[in-house]
Amino acid sequence: MPRETPMLHAVAVGSVDDGKSTLIGRLLYETGNLTADEIAHVEEASRKRGRKGIDLALLTDGLRAEREQGITIDVAYRSFDAQGRRILLGDAPGHEQYTRNMVTAAAGADVAILLVDAKNGITSQTRRHLAICAMLGVKDVIACVNKIDLVDYDKGRFDEISDEVVAAAASVKGPRVTPIPLSALEGANLIERSERTPWYSGPTVLDALHDIDPPIAEDAFRMQVQWVTRYDEGGADVRALAGRISSGTVRVGDEVVALPSGATSTIARIDVLGEDRDSASAPLSVALHLSTDVDVSRGDVIAPATDQPVVATRVKATIAWLDENPLTTPARLEVRQSSRLVPAIVETLHERLQLDTMEHEPADALEVNDLGIATILLAQPLVVEPYAQNREMGAMVLVDPSTNRTVAAVMVTEVLPD
Amino acid sequence: MSTSTEITALDVLEAEAVHVIRECAAECQRPVLLFSGGKDSIVLAHLAVKAFAPAGLPFPLMHVDTGHNFPEVVEYRDWFATEIDERLIVASVEDSIAAGRVQDETGPRASRNRLQTTTLLDAIAEHQFDACFGGARRDEERARAKERFFSHRDMFGQWDPRNQRPEPWSIYNTKLRKGEHFRVFPISNWTEVDVWTYIDREGLSLPSIYFAHEREVFLRDGLFMAAHEVVERLPGEEIFTEVVRFRTVGDMTCTGALKSTASTVDEVLVETRASDVSERGASRADDRTSEAAMEDRKRGGYF
Repeated sequence: MPRETPMLHAVAVGSVDDGKSTLIGRLLYETGNLTADEIAHVEEASRKRGRKGIDLALLTDGLRAEREQGITIDVAYRSFDAQGRRILLGDAPGHEQYTRNMVTAAAGADVAILLVDAKNGITSQTRRHLAICAMLGVKDVIACVNKIDLVDYDKGRFDEISDEVVAAAASVKGPRVTPIPLSALEGANLIERSERTPWYSGPTVLDALHDIDPPIAEDAFRMQVQWVTRYDEGGADVRALAGRISSGTVRVGDEVVALPSGATSTIARIDVLGEDRDSASAPLSVALHLSTDVDVSRGDVIAPATDQPVVATRVKATIAWLDENPLTTPARLEVRQSSRLVPAIVETLHERLQLDTMEHEPADALEVNDLGIATILLAQPLVVEPYAQNREMGAMVLVDPSTNRTVAAVMVTEVLPD
Repeated sequence: MSTSTEITALDVLEAEAVHVIRECAAECQRPVLLFSGGKDSIVLAHLAVKAFAPAGLPFPLMHVDTGHNFPEVVEYRDWFATEIDERLIVASVEDSIAAGRVQDETGPRASRNRLQTTTLLDAIAEHQFDACFGGARRDEERARAKERFFSHRDMFGQWDPRNQRPEPWSIYNTKLRKGEHFRVFPISNWTEVDVWTYIDREGLSLPSIYFAHEREVFLRDGLFMAAHEVVERLPGEEIFTEVVRFRTVGDMTCTGALKSTASTVDEVLVETRASDVSERGASRADDRTSEAAMEDRKRGGYF
């Protein structure tokens, strides 16, 4: 049974100067999610920089360095309502050197708003962002052909770029594309349809954000235990398994298994933050009570006994390398998957992905912002599933224990035999 | 027992906050929850209680008391800690001044806002806290919109906004070196309206100054400031009585009130939704000093 997404995670991506921050500023402004003093502040900042009119980009480019350089360095998050639907929108940096922040912004997003400059057309950075979105499992892309006013609202130019984006998305087996002719600056087809594009009959950006329904995967139930709550109830020592449901639905009476131990039990009680319910679904935080006393601790995964994920010590994965120090193999690092942290060795680097062409090429190192495919050996068994099948169970980060930095985002593509 | 109901955006935000709180409690050695008695920290403390109930909190609350707080808020703070039966640590700016750690500002625009950073960092070092939960939200301010859930602070308490740890999905890298700590912001993605809606839904009580009341005030920079001995007035700043409420709660020296008759949570929600002024713009003199005022204070170890 399909469910409505109560909160849509969107990310704005595209090349630098394609107008992402302007789009966000304008969206917030037009939907009444910007107050008068915030606007006054942006007006003053615009004046100080000698900009003509109001530069809405200064609203989300909140860091000093960003304002000085006129670019987005890190992700800014803003929330707003699109005709009653809650949107959490991340503004991702467009510069290639900040691709790592773009990966962070797009991970977990349901929909991407991709900006393409109508004059310049799609760039290698557009392709990179599209490829990254595809790899991160972003299901929908609202492709805004922006600055359409600068090409005289020309239908031919719009069609040409739309076709290019659709083709680029298809080449990365990517997301569904909704192309929109847009002028973020003029507000054309943002909230209201523009009279200048009579040839366009599709949705505005706000309509698209309101209507797009990314399929909520009705995956099997999975929950990683974060914390074992212990308390005394009428002389009895009660243990409850606290965590956030990462996928599916759990019901009282369900037969479950705790992994990696493999111990089985039955769900006796579901406590949803103080309220007992007979069932609960992702992404709620809950505390589960089992009918029998089973040895379960932090990091263990609770799943249906009839539909268990696998336990693995070796996986093949797509790696987005985020650190300035390049990855060479073998690399001794740590894998963090939700609440588990285990030592790991990146054994073999199979290939690097050439993002603008999507070609795979042999490589012996991954530089910052590179994507590649590697085999990772885990010091302790982890409960995993391929990322395409279950996001939460297939997503990890790599941490370098010598610097404590988060050096890579990892998406499991295949579980390998030990 | 109720059957499962439709999940709302507020349910998702609540689940996310609880996830972050549990994660921090499990990963960090000595967390503490920064509790000012303001609405955001009240919501945060309530979420923390729910995250571990019926067991107690696995960490204490801490208030950095400047000595310039509203008496109603200090009273509420003590009542709240007793009510939830948890330990409250009070780190006092006045003690820092007495010990010669900081110099009190003087004059009509004197504020202890900057001084509390030293008191906070001293308290973190004294208690060896490695994580401080805070009720900051991304919609409050442009620099906060950029901040992670687990925001890393070096030995000097500094935030490095250009070099934040990537935080893809809901995976948090909680590794620290000795002397470093995290500021953890579980309600990052909440808006002011979310906070009030949640207060309404959960039936939380708040300090009385959040609701319309009669108060002796004077006007400064377009804000109604509380008339109180700790706030020195400039020539021409006349005291008068007005019906006001506070939209945020900080020091008396830098928090302004707005004219309002909203005396219930419902009425406040109506006003908040209709407001054309941001929360901080409406009440905080401390953010007006420069465009990057918040970023600069955060870099230096401020909340």
